[in-house]
Amino acid sequence: MTSQTTAGTRHDPTDVLIIGAGASGATAAKVLTESGLRVVALEKGPWRTKETFSGDELASINRYDLWPDPLLNPRTHRTGVDEPATTQLFCPVPQMVGGGTVHWQGWLPRFTEEDFRFHSVVGDVPGASLADWPISYAELEPYYTAVEWAFGVSGQAGANRYESFRSKGYPCPPMPMSRYAEKYHRGAAALGWNTFPTPQAALSQPFDGRPATVLSAFAQQHGDPSGTRSSALNVFVPQAVATGRYDLRPDSVVREITVDARGRATGAVYEDAEGRLHEQRADVVVLACGAVETARLMLLSRSAAHPHGLGNENDLVGRNVTFHEFSSAVATFDDPIYAWAGGGYVSASSFEFYGHDDSRGFAGGGHMATSGVGIPLPINWSLPDRPAWGAEAKRVDREHFNHSMAASMVVHDLPQHDNRVDLDDEVVDDWGLPVARITLTPHENDLAMGRFLIDRSAEILEAAGATSVQKVYPDRVTGNCSHQHGTARMGNDPETSVLDRDCRAHTVENLFVVDGSSFPTGTGANPTLTIMANAWRVAERIAAGRDAATRG
Amino acid sequence: MNDTFFDPHQRATIAAAMARMIPTDDTPGAAEAGTIDFLDGYLSGTDRIYAAPDGNGFEVLTGRRLDAWTQRLEVVRARYVAGVRALDAAAERRGGRFVDLSGEEQDDVLREVERPEGREQEADAARAKVALYGAPVEAALQQTSAEVDLGFVPLLALHTRQGFYADPVYGGNRDHVGWKVIGFPGPASLAEVHQGRYTTIDYFAEDRVHPGTEGLS
Ligand SMILES: Cc1cc2nc3c(=O)[nH]c(=O)nc-3n(C[C@H](O)[C@H](O)[C@H](O)COP(=O)(O)OP(=O)(O)OC[C@H]3O[C@@H](n4cnc5c(N)ncnc54)[C@H](O)[C@@H]3O)c2cc1C
Repeated sequence: MTSQTTAGTRHDPTDVLIIGAGASGATAAKVLTESGLRVVALEKGPWRTKETFSGDELASINRYDLWPDPLLNPRTHRTGVDEPATTQLFCPVPQMVGGGTVHWQGWLPRFTEEDFRFHSVVGDVPGASLADWPISYAELEPYYTAVEWAFGVSGQAGANRYESFRSKGYPCPPMPMSRYAEKYHRGAAALGWNTFPTPQAALSQPFDGRPATVLSAFAQQHGDPSGTRSSALNVFVPQAVATGRYDLRPDSVVREITVDARGRATGAVYEDAEGRLHEQRADVVVLACGAVETARLMLLSRSAAHPHGLGNENDLVGRNVTFHEFSSAVATFDDPIYAWAGGGYVSASSFEFYGHDDSRGFAGGGHMATSGVGIPLPINWSLPDRPAWGAEAKRVDREHFNHSMAASMVVHDLPQHDNRVDLDDEVVDDWGLPVARITLTPHENDLAMGRFLIDRSAEILEAAGATSVQKVYPDRVTGNCSHQHGTARMGNDPETSVLDRDCRAHTVENLFVVDGSSFPTGTGANPTLTIMANAWRVAERIAAGRDAATRG
Repeated sequence: MNDTFFDPHQRATIAAAMARMIPTDDTPGAAEAGTIDFLDGYLSGTDRIYAAPDGNGFEVLTGRRLDAWTQRLEVVRARYVAGVRALDAAAERRGGRFVDLSGEEQDDVLREVERPEGREQEADAARAKVALYGAPVEAALQQTSAEVDLGFVPLLALHTRQGFYADPVYGGNRDHVGWKVIGFPGPASLAEVHQGRYTTIDYFAEDRVHPGTEGLS
């Protein structure tokens, strides 16, 4: 491993260096540049324009046009430290300007007040390394509102009976109701359960100079050729660029965070598209690579001052990783549902079983919502029991493609000390760097919660009049929803956490982490609204700290 | 552009196998959709991997993307060459080449090649699911499978499906027959989506407003 590499082009130092231009990196860039700071951002992938996206299921989903190519960016996975790790595409997220927001459909629920003190609410769970967050819902609430209004989230304040306090409604009314959402509302209502239009990163009406979102079928897992969806690429990146202080360099792969003799971060060494090395120095370094890659980069950055990797004095970097798990009860109906309409995720949700309830026999709960079955487009659509090929497979496609839908859920998987990301000792990526190795066994609580939520989901479908319902219980954590958290948890105690409450590394005073790495628990809801709100909060703290420093 | 990889016998064998994967009945199947053209074009080289976003030609790959696709195509081609041999070898025990067998015999051969030994059955069935659902846990998956990890029959099933349902720009799904069979009102062309003209709003609920939210502010 090269340490404190100085080969290659040296660039003029900047105020803040952000690694990654995805959801969190772009949010931080917007806030920092708007506060007057100069930001250089290094992004591994390309900076794509809307003209390069298309309604092409084959390219987008099956041929890695947006997904990381597993031959270039492998990861390895094993269920325990004694197992051999196998190469697989575990929890991939697109690598390009905009990151994971480029091809999502953006369900953006808020976490609840209880999520931030989960350990206190549920108590100790054997085998789980639960911790309360060092920040509260109330502290984050203004930032939720800020992101919702900057982004233009479409939703309905008050419709989710279990939502915590909000200071302001949504900027846009809910998206139009899909047929699958209609079924979901109806089924849940028959059971007396609360549902609400899923808050979405899309515009139900023109907002802030942007036109309403086009309701294509090629949305989830496709880029947006119309440029009308709300993503980091379409919203925060242009806002940061508009300040004139955002120097965003795509195709720049950071190999290492450099440090000085005292262990302070000095900048980063990166490789450009032609394989040339560069060095960028900065007063403050912000990591925003997503929880897996941020942990990997910290572990790759070994130096005399941080021999076990940056911020890893207590062997905590990469531990307690959580991924959620997404699974569904799947139903067919006599009448057509067209669950690909709008891309299959213009949905209805329920937090009926989100909050903790001792009587269920497991800790916590999760977000339930409706969607199309699988990737609800022809190539990748399927029902759980359809054979791979033959006359029967064709019959299932023909009879059920337009008549099926899913009631899905997000498992709130519990953090465990031995579930972790570290560096593989054999496999390297196309840049020659050791890849992230994921060691992960689900907790019994995760599986029990998954069964419970799938059972409730099936009941909704039955109550909605389904002709058949199949349950797909999650029996493993596969990383299938591209949610990543926990690898550098924040806390007040440097012995048990990597970051402080401002997401600054306890042992590297000018290093911050703004992605989901900081989350002490994964919660049961889609994380990115909270990731962006927290990035906004941390960016404000960084800017305030710089102000104080210049004044003093 | 050289848009075929198979020799005539390989091509006929794979086309026959594809016709068993999505058979023709009272509606068109793999044969009518031209799935063999889709596959042969794919295997022919790296110049047919990504259609241009507006459907006008194909992208030219360079750098790491080109390397990765060159590598992947080599693996996948080798699997097809070996696969055709395996089909013919299994067919020979039934008295002919694969293309000479009846449809039902061809199904038997495909099943035999798919699951060579009893012990392997489960693993192979699981792998077949990976091919189609992206991972063994079916429905709700977001990530896609790694083609290079698939055995021959799951790979063929995946490519048949792709050739039946992918945009016609890739040579299959001729006249959108695949979409018509299942009733998917896809766009007339990639350009429709690219220009933001393709909308599915007509397939939303008649009542566009979510219940219970009218009175809320
Ligand atoms: C199909 C799909 C659907 C999703 N749907 C939802 C949803 O509905 N709701 C929700 O809340 N979340 C959803 N997500 C998850 C969401 O995309 C992520 O939570 C979010 O993008 C995470 O933000 P981030 O900033 O942590 O990382 P990312 O957005 O992944 O950005 C990290 C960036 O860092 C770059 N990077 C990594 N390593 C390096 C390096 N060494 N050098 C330089 N750059 C580097 C990467 O290329 C990437 O662009 C979805 C994800 C996918 C893929």
